[in-house]
Amino acid sequence: MDVARRDRVDAPNVTRGRAGGGDVVLEVRGLHAGYGRALRALAGASLSVREGAVVAVLGNNGAGKSTLLRAISGTLGQHGGTIARGTIEHDGRSLVGLDAATIARQGVVQVPEGRRVFGRLTVAENLRAGGIAARDKRGREAALRRVLELFPVLRDRARQRAALLSGGEQQMLAIGRALMAGPRVLLLDEPSLGLAPKVVAQVGEVIGEINRGGVTVVLVEQNAAMALAVADRAVVLEVGTVSLEGSAAELADAEGVRDRYLGTRSPPATAPPAPPAATQVQELTVDGLSVNFGGIKALDDVSFVVQPGSMHALIGPNGAGKSTCLNVLSGVYRASAGSVRYGHRELTRLRPHRVAALGVSRTFQNISLSPGVTVLDNLLVARHRLMREGFVSGGLRLPRARRERAAHEQRAREIAALLDLGDAVGRLVRTLSYGTRKRVELARALCAEPGLLLLDEPVAGMTSDESAAMARAIATARAELGISVLVVEHDMSFVMGIADRVTVLDFGRRIADGPPAAVQSDPEVVRAYLGGAA
Amino acid sequence: MNQFVTLFVGGLFLGAIYALVALGFVTIFRATGVINFAQGSVLLLGAYVIGRLHDSIGFWPAVAAGILVAAAASVLVDVVLIRRARAADLGTLAILTLGVNILLSTELTRQIGTDVLSIGAPWGSDVVEVAGIRVPASRVIAGGVALVLVAALGVAVKFTDWGVAMRSAAEDGETASLMGIRLNRVAAGAWALAGGLAAVGGLFLTSFPAAGVTPDAGLVALAAIPAVVLGGFDSPAGAVVGGLIIGVVSVLCAGYQDELSFLGRGIGTTAPYVVMLLVLLVRPSGLFGTREVTRV
Repeated sequence: MDVARRDRVDAPNVTRGRAGGGDVVLEVRGLHAGYGRALRALAGASLSVREGAVVAVLGNNGAGKSTLLRAISGTLGQHGGTIARGTIEHDGRSLVGLDAATIARQGVVQVPEGRRVFGRLTVAENLRAGGIAARDKRGREAALRRVLELFPVLRDRARQRAALLSGGEQQMLAIGRALMAGPRVLLLDEPSLGLAPKVVAQVGEVIGEINRGGVTVVLVEQNAAMALAVADRAVVLEVGTVSLEGSAAELADAEGVRDRYLGTRSPPATAPPAPPAATQVQELTVDGLSVNFGGIKALDDVSFVVQPGSMHALIGPNGAGKSTCLNVLSGVYRASAGSVRYGHRELTRLRPHRVAALGVSRTFQNISLSPGVTVLDNLLVARHRLMREGFVSGGLRLPRARRERAAHEQRAREIAALLDLGDAVGRLVRTLSYGTRKRVELARALCAEPGLLLLDEPVAGMTSDESAAMARAIATARAELGISVLVVEHDMSFVMGIADRVTVLDFGRRIADGPPAAVQSDPEVVRAYLGGAA
Repeated sequence: MNQFVTLFVGGLFLGAIYALVALGFVTIFRATGVINFAQGSVLLLGAYVIGRLHDSIGFWPAVAAGILVAAAASVLVDVVLIRRARAADLGTLAILTLGVNILLSTELTRQIGTDVLSIGAPWGSDVVEVAGIRVPASRVIAGGVALVLVAALGVAVKFTDWGVAMRSAAEDGETASLMGIRLNRVAAGAWALAGGLAAVGGLFLTSFPAAGVTPDAGLVALAAIPAVVLGGFDSPAGAVVGGLIIGVVSVLCAGYQDELSFLGRGIGTTAPYVVMLLVLLVRPSGLFGTREVTRV
């Protein structure tokens, strides 16, 4: 959680293929961008891409990687974002203010995150859709031949609907579709997300192949191993600015990158011992849990135990299955196999509200509060399961209903005060900053008086101050209430500071489980986060 | 039996007209996510232009003019109102089109006044008789035209660049725009197409056996709404099947009104909605609609 530094690594560029000897083809300078007033995603980010290079943009969730790509490709507005300051130039012409289609027609083409193939169209139609805007109509046939050479599987599947392809094939289709548009600069947003290691390696090779064909590539990745293997240069984004920059080989060895992905710099766990809990706190046992989505194994035989009163972290790179696991625990997804027991109750067959009634409450990765009502009202929603009076007595404001409401309000205020939200209880949620909203969500989960608290990426997208405040809030809540906490996160350094025990997932499988220090030095974990580079 | 077959065939032909209007609804909904209640008044506009012009410039040029004017009016609604408010929610946009519908049909009603404009079609009030089944010639032609248009549209959507662009934009607008597909153009094309289809529908809805162009024609177009809903909002095939079902049901109910007198009079006009509700009870997203899927 160190403050963003700009360690420019000034060493001769490692040349690789036709690595970036050309003119600057894409130049981003001092870009500030955000969503609404609450969330600033980019604070002065700069990026310079030379013709023929592969530039990797690395960083954690919420570092601003996707926002940077959206700003370049002109889709920021479609996500409710705006560019406040800064310039983006392609071949010396500004791209700011142009719409996405115009930018694509100028040769800057983005492959969106999560592949986003047109599932109801056939594979051939997807490729055709990519070629509609190609500048060179006659070149389309040639482009199609090249794409099919690059991805022979697409030829075999040409007449199938794209939705039926596997994750890896969809990624190839998405890349092939973008190539049909005849890009000069290809922007790739997390192409390895949720793919098996073998497929990730294939995607890496393909990117190299495309680059050798003369296309400049900007590769946004969380999988630092893959990105550094194919890139010439790389930048690391941290809370909206570039904190590290250099050749790929230098960055793979740079201390800063290791810190960021493995959290080696944070002090060992100093969590206070937990007092006995007011609510019933039980052991959570996950045993042989598997979840399939179509042909994709999101979780594969995962087991771990959350001891009563402990702080347990579930970590792993993007697409490792962390959120899926949380969604099974809270009853949103069905398990394909295996069991989840809380105390002696089996959770896998319960509906979400039944799971909540057992004292398991959660927060969400993307804040899901009601923005138009006060913090207090948001908190009271969570106390619903503890309220006895029905809507008739509540609506008539009978004395006993009013007494009950006062008692619950009192408790909600106490919990808010515990999380430093005392001043905010009367304010509308939409007027609060992003970091405060995340704490409100935590407070709401606590208001359900859980025995087990599930936190989904509590510090995603936070500044280091905000994330420190969040760490304090979680530690205080656990110390005061004595509950168990299962936190899903991929900011490793955050987790290392507060967890008693860590389970690491990669591609749906458990690759490590143990105390933070042991997990940190585990070679499997190092490989998952940094790949062969480490 | 003979009466049943006559009614059934008549219903299919009426349904073909509804199908055209419904197809316009679906095209706009797929391309821009707007439920366009202005479709009825655009239909009336098309018919009105044909009715006013056929005496001076001849029937076929008048039809061409009617289709062009309706398409242009439809595009104007998109460009002037909808495009600016595209981020607004479904309800706001629908109410916007409802407002357009009221304005346009009020003005047209004023223009028509107490006249009954004849549509001036060369087939007039001819009746075709095959094997004892008598159907107005205009309806037979309407069925033929609808068949040709639906088939042509199906082919265009399936095989042309325009169709591929339209379907990709409908499925994922952001990604389509990343591929260089201009969403505004795709949208305008869809609105133009819907306006043209409405004008063709208006032509046949105001031909014999209808008296001519009256403000009621805009209301008749409302029968296309249950057709759209029961077909599933985003399915062109659903619009066609829905249109045919609504046509057959309303003609049968009107024809057997006396036998169905225990249901009260005018069952022909309410029957489409009853059918719609029954279908929605069993299949909440319509016969061919895509099911809403939500994930956390």
